[in-house]
Amino acid sequence: MTTAHGPLIGVSAPRRKNLELLAGKATYVADIGLEGQAYARVVRSSSAHARLLGVDCSDALRVPGVLDVITAADIDDIRIPIRLPFAESPEANRALQAPLARDVVRYVGEPVAVVVATDPYVAEDAAELVLVDLEEMDPVVDTATAGEPGRPRLHSSLGSNTVNQLAFRYGDIDAAFAEADIVVRRRLRVHRLAAAPMETRGLVADYDRNSGVLTLWGGAKVKHFTRSLLARVLGLEPDKVRVVEVEVGGGFGTRGEPYPEDVLIAWLARRLERPVQWIEDRWEHMVATNHAREQEHDIELAATAEGQMLGFRVRGWCDHGAYIRTQGLLPVVLPMLHMPGPYQWQAFSMDLDAVLTNRTPVGTYRGPGMTEATFVRERMVDILAAELHMDPADLRRRNLIPAESMPFVFNPGPGSSGVMPIAYQSGDFVESFDEMLAAADYHELRAGRQRARSRDGKAGVGMAVYIEFAAVGPFEEVDIICDGRGVTVRAGVGSVGQGVETALAQIAAELLGAELEDVSVEFHDTAEIPQGFGAFASRSTVLVGNAIAAAVNEIRIKSAELLGCGPDGIELHRGNATGPDGRTVPLAELGGVRGRFDKDGLTASFGGAVCSASVDPADGRVRLDRFLVAHDVGRAVNPRLLRGQLAGAASQGIGGALFEELAYDDNGQPLSVTLADYMMPTAAELTPVDLAVIEHGSPSNPLGIKGGGEAGMVGSLGAVVNAVADAIGDGADLLSSSVSPARVWRALNHQSSLDGAGRPAMET
Amino acid sequence: MKPAPFAYAAAESLEEVLALLGEAGDDAKLLAGGQSLLPLLAYRLARPSHVIDIGAVPALDAIDERDGRLRVGALVRHAALERCELNGRWQAVREAAALIGHLPIRMRGTLGGSLAHADPAGELGVVATALDADIVLRSVRGERTVPAAEFFIAPLITAAAPDEVLVEARFTAPAGGFRSVFEEFSPRVGDFAYASVAAGCRVDADGAAHDVRIALGSVGPTPIRASAAEESLTGSALHDAAIAECARMAATACDPSAGDWHADGEYRRALVASLVERALTRLRDTP
Repeated sequence: MTTAHGPLIGVSAPRRKNLELLAGKATYVADIGLEGQAYARVVRSSSAHARLLGVDCSDALRVPGVLDVITAADIDDIRIPIRLPFAESPEANRALQAPLARDVVRYVGEPVAVVVATDPYVAEDAAELVLVDLEEMDPVVDTATAGEPGRPRLHSSLGSNTVNQLAFRYGDIDAAFAEADIVVRRRLRVHRLAAAPMETRGLVADYDRNSGVLTLWGGAKVKHFTRSLLARVLGLEPDKVRVVEVEVGGGFGTRGEPYPEDVLIAWLARRLERPVQWIEDRWEHMVATNHAREQEHDIELAATAEGQMLGFRVRGWCDHGAYIRTQGLLPVVLPMLHMPGPYQWQAFSMDLDAVLTNRTPVGTYRGPGMTEATFVRERMVDILAAELHMDPADLRRRNLIPAESMPFVFNPGPGSSGVMPIAYQSGDFVESFDEMLAAADYHELRAGRQRARSRDGKAGVGMAVYIEFAAVGPFEEVDIICDGRGVTVRAGVGSVGQGVETALAQIAAELLGAELEDVSVEFHDTAEIPQGFGAFASRSTVLVGNAIAAAVNEIRIKSAELLGCGPDGIELHRGNATGPDGRTVPLAELGGVRGRFDKDGLTASFGGAVCSASVDPADGRVRLDRFLVAHDVGRAVNPRLLRGQLAGAASQGIGGALFEELAYDDNGQPLSVTLADYMMPTAAELTPVDLAVIEHGSPSNPLGIKGGGEAGMVGSLGAVVNAVADAIGDGADLLSSSVSPARVWRALNHQSSLDGAGRPAMET
Repeated sequence: MKPAPFAYAAAESLEEVLALLGEAGDDAKLLAGGQSLLPLLAYRLARPSHVIDIGAVPALDAIDERDGRLRVGALVRHAALERCELNGRWQAVREAAALIGHLPIRMRGTLGGSLAHADPAGELGVVATALDADIVLRSVRGERTVPAAEFFIAPLITAAAPDEVLVEARFTAPAGGFRSVFEEFSPRVGDFAYASVAAGCRVDADGAAHDVRIALGSVGPTPIRASAAEESLTGSALHDAAIAECARMAATACDPSAGDWHADGEYRRALVASLVERALTRLRDTP
């Protein structure tokens, strides 16, 4: 491609908006103050499971400044639907959440009423006066037994608390286990985590009576789905609903899904015919916004004495919390998809149940399902390596799917249900694995571990490798409008801090021969952009980037028609198309050009993480000495942004392993409702994350891009826990993805096999 | 996370504070640096009718060493304590101040606020307990001093009456080579400690320890003085075995009910033992 300025794809262009964000000039949803704006406060359940006998709003309504107090009785009996058709089941659709609790409350934090007042302080004062009459019921708080008969049922419309059962049979599992010299068995627990973005959720809704348009600010991630949902529940035409994205302080999968509050605030704005703002506080955030990760898995791994991994069986329970929200059954679907990983299994058998418990609903959090599955599988691989006295790297390498087997597919066999084939399109896992080890200087890490041990230090090295499925379709569209030298790209993406507007501008500028600063990317307002599916599954750059490429092809075809030549002979440069004969047509004459990229299936990419750690036997403190992420991104559009994404995701994962936990007591009361209890890592606790960016171009799209926004997370829990277990040494049967100081100290001083919940582990 | 309504008044003198306290009755709170009170207000865990801001009251921010005592005014910021020049006798005060929260917290938070808040994890309360501090309280009725051992009654509860203002803490330590140190374990920098230790002693020419002081934080409803552990070391040389025995005994002083889901009692006792060991080893090995 000929351009004036050389390539832009692959260049670390500065992230757009940086200065505005750093200077405090960006507009977040809490910065919006419309004339006459009122303030909402949500009254929430204080009980994990109770009959809702009544809600008395009379005292609250008498507080001066209070405009309205609503309960479920005031609104239509609606449920917030699942956004993804492949994440539904009949049972899941009977466990959807109403915007306000009806008859029963099912988790602490469930919305029961909303108070609207002229002032946010008054709203909070009045919310305390709403009397919620609850009759306690037994809560369900244990994930593995939640679906068993005899447990209290969360939803009377369901026969049990199990809302989906997935089964995947591959190969002859009995033969694989019969052939084995060794079988290791454990129950592993992935602990409950939250994305906890720096900015909590927030919304402003305004209804204009004259135009009949309802506008919602603060939507992000899946604006078009939110728009169609609001149109449906409010009885408006879709073009009478606008969802407008403003700057967001982090998304990570949780922000921007339509929650009960999105419906409630929009509904109240229309009812009151004045703007209503709701800003979630941190306590609310910790109980109201989707949680993630909580699962238990009984897993057995069969291998030969030489370290050939033959097969595995897993029986798992994936907690979905009290309701199925917009992401449906992803918390069970995605672990299943990612469990086999990059290994050449003869056979495996997976049974995963989606269960409900009386806790905050579970959704996706950066690296969803894949992080959990990778922890479970990779922890078992290390346990097997220890049993076989093998170097965990050697064990992994000999079992990786070889490059000559690509493309590769695990097809579900007889007895499978609810699952699709697991297909890897491309990659050289062994080569990438060796690249990762070389980048981490693995042999030196192992030597350093030996040196530390010879001085009685507790040092360990751990790793995790994985396959990440990303870049889900079905499609994205863009409109490209050229006007003089300027280029506007309109796309239905969401910018949740990942820098997508910068990467997309680079792609457009390079393909159009434009200057980078002349390209603007518009995505904020559903009234002005094409239909889009949103920012998740590391899909935006892949899908929209290729839609831009399609639009540019269209521009070439159109200008070639005008110039009477073939599209390949067209040179695009600073707003003009030039034919081989030197004749030129301004791109502005073409008007808006639409491009669309359709994508079937998911793009698989290989990656891993390597960690070296030491632990202090006196207090259980873990120190990370080295952490490296390797990931095959296909093609790095903006290396600096990509490295920020990988290192940021890895840091979140490290915090999840070392410090963070959403704990509940036996009554279903949440114990981590402040950032003093939900301990996110600070710069003082983190180690610089080293990166090995691998670029094996993807055959699944013309630009060759794979996902990169979540990958740094995927191996983090596995690598950290494996390194800590290695540091503790013999008998360190770490079976939880949490290695908090207390857990590490206990493992060091008791060397007993306790699972994450403190119960005795399954026998091997 | 918006405070319940309260009346606010900013006092410009101690006399005005005392007068305002007298008028407000039993339900007033004093606001100094606000680092503990404001979160309590935001969570509506505290609902005072009146908040009296003492930030502008003069002459409560002195650090003064005389007559064998370190006098620290109630409005001395943690950052000022952390940075002031103090000899090894008061080293625990500086070390404890440096471990409180994060720098922005230490720039605002005050000694008086920390002691009056009486969180059992509060570093300065532990030092005050180890160094036999007298807490000076003033009211319209006059001034009285309360020994730290009697000042802390339960979590967030002190011996101060509703009309009293904490104006000063007077730390006490023997002369003649006494030194003190502070150690704590917190999961992250700036967190509430799972366990903390303030320790001090004087080592004589024969290497024997005297005037041993050991106080523990975060392992009971108030700071705890580990008296039996102190006695076990008194007169003994600071060799490893004696230190280990003293650390073991200090751990037994922890309240058996101490602990939460982050760190249970057994773990906290182990932390106490390791912190006492570290503190005493430092007192022995640091010239």
